Amino acid sequence: MAMHLTRHLPSDSASLGERVLEAARAVILGKDRELRLALACLMARGHLLIEDVPGVGKTTLAHLLARLLGLEYARIQFTSDLLPADVIGVSVYDRAAESFRFHPGPVFSQLVLADEINRATPKAQSALLEAMEERQVTVEGETRPLPEPFFVIATQNPLFQVGTFPLPESQLDRFLMRIRLGYPAAEQEKALLAGEDRRTMVARQQPALTGAQLMALQQQVVEVHAAPAIIEYVHAILAVTRSSERFLHGLSPRAGLGLLRAAKAWALLSDRDYVIPEDIQAVLPSCVVHRLAASEYGGRLDEEAVVSAILDHVALA
Amino acid sequence: MRTIPSNERPERTQILWVTLVLIAAYLPLAGHLALQISAFVGLLFAIRLASLRWSAVLPGTWPLAALTLIGVANAAVTYQGWSGQNAGTALFVSMLVLKLMELRRKSDIRLVATLIGFLVVVEFLFDQSPWLVLYLGAVVLGGIALLVDLNGGLGEARRRGAITVAVRLSLQALPLTLILFLLFPRLSAPLWNLGVDPNKATTGISDSLEPGAISELVLNGELAFRARFEGTPPAADRLYWRGPVLWQTDGRRWSAGEGITNSGPAGALLETARPIDYEVTLEATDQRWLFALDMPASVPDGAFLSPDHQLIARQVVSAVKRYQVTSALDYRTAAPDPARLAAGLQVPDNVTPRMRRLVEDWQGRSNDDWALVQAGLQFFNRESFHYTLMPPRLGANPTDEFLFETRRGFCEHYAGSFAVLMRMAGIPSRIVLGYLGGELNRVGGYHMIWQSDAHAWVEVLIDGRGWVRVDPTAAVDPSRVDNSGASRMLGAGPSVRFTLEQADAIARFVRNMRLFADSLDAAWQDWVLGFSVEDQLALLERLRLGELREYGLVALMLAALGLTLGILVVASIRERKPLDPLQAEYARFCGRLAKIGLDRLPNEGPMDYAGRVVAQRPDLAPTVERFMELYVPARYGPDDSGDALVALADLLSHFRPRPARQMPDLLRRPR
Repeated sequence: MAMHLTRHLPSDSASLGERVLEAARAVILGKDRELRLALACLMARGHLLIEDVPGVGKTTLAHLLARLLGLEYARIQFTSDLLPADVIGVSVYDRAAESFRFHPGPVFSQLVLADEINRATPKAQSALLEAMEERQVTVEGETRPLPEPFFVIATQNPLFQVGTFPLPESQLDRFLMRIRLGYPAAEQEKALLAGEDRRTMVARQQPALTGAQLMALQQQVVEVHAAPAIIEYVHAILAVTRSSERFLHGLSPRAGLGLLRAAKAWALLSDRDYVIPEDIQAVLPSCVVHRLAASEYGGRLDEEAVVSAILDHVALA
Repeated sequence: MRTIPSNERPERTQILWVTLVLIAAYLPLAGHLALQISAFVGLLFAIRLASLRWSAVLPGTWPLAALTLIGVANAAVTYQGWSGQNAGTALFVSMLVLKLMELRRKSDIRLVATLIGFLVVVEFLFDQSPWLVLYLGAVVLGGIALLVDLNGGLGEARRRGAITVAVRLSLQALPLTLILFLLFPRLSAPLWNLGVDPNKATTGISDSLEPGAISELVLNGELAFRARFEGTPPAADRLYWRGPVLWQTDGRRWSAGEGITNSGPAGALLETARPIDYEVTLEATDQRWLFALDMPASVPDGAFLSPDHQLIARQVVSAVKRYQVTSALDYRTAAPDPARLAAGLQVPDNVTPRMRRLVEDWQGRSNDDWALVQAGLQFFNRESFHYTLMPPRLGANPTDEFLFETRRGFCEHYAGSFAVLMRMAGIPSRIVLGYLGGELNRVGGYHMIWQSDAHAWVEVLIDGRGWVRVDPTAAVDPSRVDNSGASRMLGAGPSVRFTLEQADAIARFVRNMRLFADSLDAAWQDWVLGFSVEDQLALLERLRLGELREYGLVALMLAALGLTLGILVVASIRERKPLDPLQAEYARFCGRLAKIGLDRLPNEGPMDYAGRVVAQRPDLAPTVERFMELYVPARYGPDDSGDALVALADLLSHFRPRPARQMPDLLRRPR
C-alpha cells in the first residue's frame, strides 16, 4: 500500500531500526515479525522472553541481537543446581589487598542471555528477576548498579517438558514481551539446511548501531505521541481483561504501561512518531498473553483465543 | 454426554443467586399453599444449596425422574386433582423448583429467572397488598440483575454493576408500565377477582345474631371498611353504620324473620335534615350489604334500598367496592308495612314472669311509649349492669339470666334483651346490626372501621316519629365498662366508647405507624387495585379523549408507548459523549463504505481497514489513501490544529462510492 504516513524523524530512527532488522533477517530466516517484535521490545527498554521447544533458534536470536546492537554479552545457562551467586557474583577474600573483593557475576553485562530459565530453581530465578526489575544488585549490603543499557533475554522451554520450574505469574509480568519462534516454513528451512552454520554467521556480524544510537532510539520511543484515543483504547483493553470471566485476574497497570511503550516502539519502527490502534494490536499478543492466567485449561491459554477475546470486546471508533 | 462450552457453563454464584431469588419469590406463597407443597419445595431448595458444596447430592437422571413424579403426585394428592388456583400454582412451583436440579447451562438459569417473573404474577392472585408489591418488586429486580449478569460483559465489580443495570432498566420501564396501566383496555373485573379460589373465607357481620357472634368479631383485628367524609365528619358516637335488620327471635337467636325480605318498596324517609356525603371503600364481604350511616338518603349505582333502610348491592361484594352515599343524620321514617309491624311485636316463648313484672312496672310509671323506652334505658343504667367482652356463659334462657342474674354482657345481650322487653310492652322493635364509630386516620384523612367495631342496636317504632334508634349498650354506666385490656390483648381494635385513650408514647407511635400503613394501603386500593373501566373512562374524559374506545384506546396507548420509547432513546443517545468532529468524519467515511458492503469491523484500525478496502476495490485507492493521510495523523498524531477537518469534509463531500459493477447493464437506466 502506497500510503505516506511517514514523518521526518530526527535521527532517521526507522532506518536505524531497519538496518538492524536487515542484518538479522539474513541470519534468522522467515521470522520477520518475531525479529521486529524482539527489536521493539529492546527499544522499549523491556526484557524479552522467548519460549519454544529446543533448537528453533532462541539462543541464536539472543546472541544475534547482542552482536547487532553492539552490546556486551553474557550467557547464563540455567540448570537445576545454579545458585544465586552464580548469577550475581561473589565476594572473595583478596589476600594481597587484605579485603573482600567482589567478582561480578554474568548479570553485570549489557545483554544477559538467561538460557532455559525455567530449568533453574525458583531461588536462582528470582535472583535474576529481581535484578531485572531493579536494574541494580545488592550484595552484602552494597548496592551495585547494573550497566546501561541492560537487557535480559530469557529463553524457556514450554512448561510441559520434564524437569522445569515454571515461572510464577508475578515474575512473568517483568518481561515486556514473550515471543515464540516456531518452526521455520518449508522454504526457509531448506535454505537453513543448505546454508552456512548460524553460529559462525552470528560471530561474523558487526554492530549495526553504536551504543549512543541505541540510547537515542530508546529515548525516541518515550517521545512517541499517544493520542487520548489511544490512551482510551489501552485502558479499555485493560478493563476488558479485568472484567472478563475468561481470566482469573486482569492485566496490571505495569502491563498497561508496557503495552503502550511496546506500541510506541512498534510505531517508531514503522517510521511514525505517533501510535495508531494497529500498533497496539500488533504488540498485544506478545505483551499480554503471558501475563494472563486463564481461568481454564490449567492456566495455559491459546494465544489467538486470548487476543480475540480481548479485541472482540473493545470496539474502535 | 455432550460437552457444554465453557462460556455456557453456569458459575456457582449464578446458581446460588438464582436459588436465593427463587426462595425469596416462593416465601409469600408458603402462606397460601399446603404444607406438603412447601415441604417438597423446601427439600429441593436444600438439595440445591447443599450441592454447591457437595456436588454429589444432586440427583441423577433416574432419581430426578422419580422426584418429578413425586412432585406431580404431591400436588395432585394435596389438592385432589389439577383444577383450581391452588393446585395449578402448586404444580407450577414444584416443577419450577425441580428445574433447579438441572442447571447445566446458563440458558437453564435464564429460563428459571424468566419463569420467576411468571411466578410473581401468579402470587398476585393470592394477595395484592402494596407490601407484597414492594417485596416482589425487589425479587424481580434480583431476577433482572441475574439475567443481566448471565448476559455477561460486566465483569469483576459486576454483582453491583448488574443490580445498577437492573435498577436502571426498571426505572426506564416505569413510564411504559404507567401507560399500559392507565390505557390498556380493561376487563370489567380485575384479573384477581376471577373467583378462582372458592376456599377464600371472609369475616364480617353475619345475617343473624346469636350469643358470641359479635364477640368473635370484636376480637378480630381486620378492617371492615374505610369512609371518607366530605366536610366535617360527625362525632364518632354518632357513626352508626347500618347493616342487616333482624326481626325474628326465639329468645336466644335473632334472624331476619320469615316472610321478611329485602324486596319490596324502599323504606321511605318523610323528613330529613343534616345530610352528609361520604365515600365508603368496603372490603370484600361475600355478602350484598353496603354499610351506610343512619339513614341512607341516596342509593349508589348498582344497589337498592331495602324496606328496612338497608343498602343492598345487586351483586355480592367479592372484591373491594367503593361507593358514594348521602345520609341524613336526622330523619323521620315512614311507618312499616303490616307484615313488619306484626313481626316487630313478636315475642319469644321463653319470657319469664319476672320479665313480665319488670315491663309492667315500667308501663305503670310511663305515660307514653317514649317514656317507657326511657324507663328501660334507666334500668340498664341504674342496675348493676356491666359491659364486658368476656361475659359468663348463659344457659337455656339467656335473656332472663342476663337481665336478672349475670348482668354482664355486651351489645348483643343488651340489644337483644331490650328489644324483647320493648316488644312485651307493645312497642314494635327490631335489631340493627352494623358498626359503631370508626378510627380517624389523620394521615389519610379518612375513618377506618374495624371488624372490632361491630355493634348491634335497637330501633323502636314511636308514633309520629317512625323508627327511632335506641342503643341500650350506651346506657350502661361508664364506670361499669370493663376495660381491663383483655380484649385488646386478644387483638381487638379500639372501640369508640369502651376503650380508654392510650397515653404512653410507644403505644401512640405504634398506633401512628398503623395509621400510616393503613393510609398507604387505602391509597393503593383507591388508585391501583380499584382503577376500573369507569375510572379509565373518567380519566380519558378529563383529558378530553373521551371519544376513544377500544381500537381508539389501543391506538392512543401505542402512540403514548411509542412517544415514551422515543424520548428514552433520544435521552440515551444524548447521554453519550458527543463524537469529536474528526471521529464524526471518520464515521461518515465508514458509513459510505458500509453502503457498498465494505463494513469496518468493530475492532479494525483505520490502516487495516483502508488496506482491506483498497485490496477489494483498487479503484477507490486514491480517495481512501488521501483520507487516511489526512485522518490518521490528525486523529492520532501530536498535531491537533484541526486543519485536516476542512480537507476531510471536502474530500467526503465528493466521496460517493458505488457498488462494484457486477450488475448487468440491463438494469441501468437508459439516458
